[in-house]
Amino acid sequence: MIEKLVDKKDIPKLVKELTEKYNFYAPIKVNGNIEFKRVENVGDIELNFFNSKIPPKEILFPRMETLFTYNINGKNIEIKEPEKSEKKNIIFGIRPCDAHSFVLLENFFGFGEFKDKLFLNKRKNTILMGIGCNNPRNTCFCTSLEGHPFKKEDMDVFLVDLDDKYLITPITDIGKEIIDALSWLVDAKKPDLEKAMKLSEKAESLISTTLDIKDSYKILDSQFSNPIWKEISETCIGCGTCSFLCPTCTCFDVIDEEDKYNNKGRRIRIWDTCQSCLYSLHTSGHNPRNGGIERCRNRILHKFSYYPTNYGLIGCVGCGRCIQLCPVNNDLRAIIKKMNEINKKEEKSIIA
Amino acid sequence: MSKLNLDNQKIQEKMREVARNLLKEKKVDLIIGYSEGTVPLSSAPVFIRKEEEVDKLIWNNLCYVNLAKYLIPNIKENVDGKLVDLKVGIISKGCVARSIIHLMVEHQIKKENITIIGIKCNGIINRRKIEKEVGAEEIIETYLLDDNFIVKGKDFEKKFNYDEYMNELCKHCTIKSPPKSDSLKDIIVGESQESYSLEEKFEDVIEFEEKTPDERWNYMKELLQDCTRCYACREACPLCYCNLCFVDQNLPTWFGKTSEISDILIFHMVRALHLAGRCVECGACSSVCPMGIDLSIINRKINRIVKDRYDFTSGLSLEKLPPMMAFKMEDKQEFMLEED
Repeated sequence: MIEKLVDKKDIPKLVKELTEKYNFYAPIKVNGNIEFKRVENVGDIELNFFNSKIPPKEILFPRMETLFTYNINGKNIEIKEPEKSEKKNIIFGIRPCDAHSFVLLENFFGFGEFKDKLFLNKRKNTILMGIGCNNPRNTCFCTSLEGHPFKKEDMDVFLVDLDDKYLITPITDIGKEIIDALSWLVDAKKPDLEKAMKLSEKAESLISTTLDIKDSYKILDSQFSNPIWKEISETCIGCGTCSFLCPTCTCFDVIDEEDKYNNKGRRIRIWDTCQSCLYSLHTSGHNPRNGGIERCRNRILHKFSYYPTNYGLIGCVGCGRCIQLCPVNNDLRAIIKKMNEINKKEEKSIIA
Repeated sequence: MSKLNLDNQKIQEKMREVARNLLKEKKVDLIIGYSEGTVPLSSAPVFIRKEEEVDKLIWNNLCYVNLAKYLIPNIKENVDGKLVDLKVGIISKGCVARSIIHLMVEHQIKKENITIIGIKCNGIINRRKIEKEVGAEEIIETYLLDDNFIVKGKDFEKKFNYDEYMNELCKHCTIKSPPKSDSLKDIIVGESQESYSLEEKFEDVIEFEEKTPDERWNYMKELLQDCTRCYACREACPLCYCNLCFVDQNLPTWFGKTSEISDILIFHMVRALHLAGRCVECGACSSVCPMGIDLSIINRKINRIVKDRYDFTSGLSLEKLPPMMAFKMEDKQEFMLEED
């Protein structure tokens, strides 16, 4: 049997072995918030968690990343690229929705002629050891996006929390390699698999939000000047919470920082958001997305229209972070429902 | 039922009645208020244009957004091809009304367009603190019972003492409904407050000041390290209305934009300085922070300086000029170098 078991009390042993070989990231509580951080002490890991506030995209696409640094010495300019880690990364405890977001990120950073090597290399060197969601929340809707609280396919190793132990299923070759190396793991038995199956069914039944999103892009294409955008953006205050905490948002800003007095500098990239007043501001001073209406519309269209059109994928994984954390409770579920109502109205008028 | 709850319900009923009449008598085109949130520990700002929608308005201890934010830029609507200022009724607890008054002093909103619908606030629940303490469990329901805020999930129930789990700023607040004054009486309907104490002990600030520089530095570093620079604090602040914030200046860049602690710190410090003599201590910045960063100590420190030096509290009167808008010869300026 390829499925293995690990007792929860043996997790430190497992982590210890893996940290020797890999850069090991896991959920850790920082100031009361769960975040995926590089593990220094096994004891810091918090596995009784729902999901992290900042999505694990942060590991591959950090809030701030140095692209290169430079030193100027007379006429010589020395450019240094950031040091690469020799070790591969493991992201332990990633949820299925966030693991799926990596597929979307790969599409974005790997699209077209110019590949983002920085991201893609890191992605290639990152192994996902995810855990299924036994208790999805009211704000979760992965099942509306072809996801599932127990979706294994986007992971390398998939774990199921069976109360006192984890069921471990290697998915990819590299996943199998890792699990084979942990020779002390015991084989899972039939009742364990059955229990995992039941938990999976239960988790699915707990998802109370179902949204019809698959065909939204067809109708959104022609709804650029629909009045719903005004309605949707009316109470939006224009902060970047929804996009910064979104596992699929990828916009970034590139900044050159010069240290003139020391003849050096660096080029960095930081997260950007379509909600910012600088986003898409032209050199002329003109901004095609000058107000809240245009900015809110861009966020929705990007996820539910441009993404499906460009990559054949919906740009949302249904994690619910934007719903939980929007300062003014501008609920994405309500926005999607409003979009679908245009659908129905249009259909009616076509039939009539 | 708890007394707090009864109070809230009475306030809500009265507020809806006032709002309904304002719309019926066409004294306002629009009411800005709060509606029920779709997730626990939240509420959603709402714009009401029709009498029949007035029942969407709610009032409870989770109405944390400062609605004055929505008044700038002035809300306009297209009437016969012309943009006309709308007449707005705005549900105002004490701090919202104070923001409005201060914005009028700064000539940002016109008095004739605003009707302040005054309500009395008992203090807003510290939603981020509760959320952090509850942790992994999903909150399904919250309500007030006696002196406690009850948080219920599938397999748990937790009690949070209301007075203790109020926003830090609300604990110091004495101006719970719109402050009464002659120059405002024609624009305030509903509740208003005649007397309030402006005595402030600033115990929290003094405690902070007594720390060593190292301790203060570490405190700030820990407090702000999680800031993602989403600027929810700035965007939720009714007094942060600049067209282009100093931190967004990029021709040339004025401040670093990274998430390194020095850049994060300087953003919050400079923003706090810009709020000197202006901040009304509504706590919206902390309530909206997705990472649950409580900025109150920074603003309280600045407010203490303003209080000590100028004996000024913002948002109480249309006549009194805020210290940063006025210059007096007798103002202390010990930072100036004396000429020999």
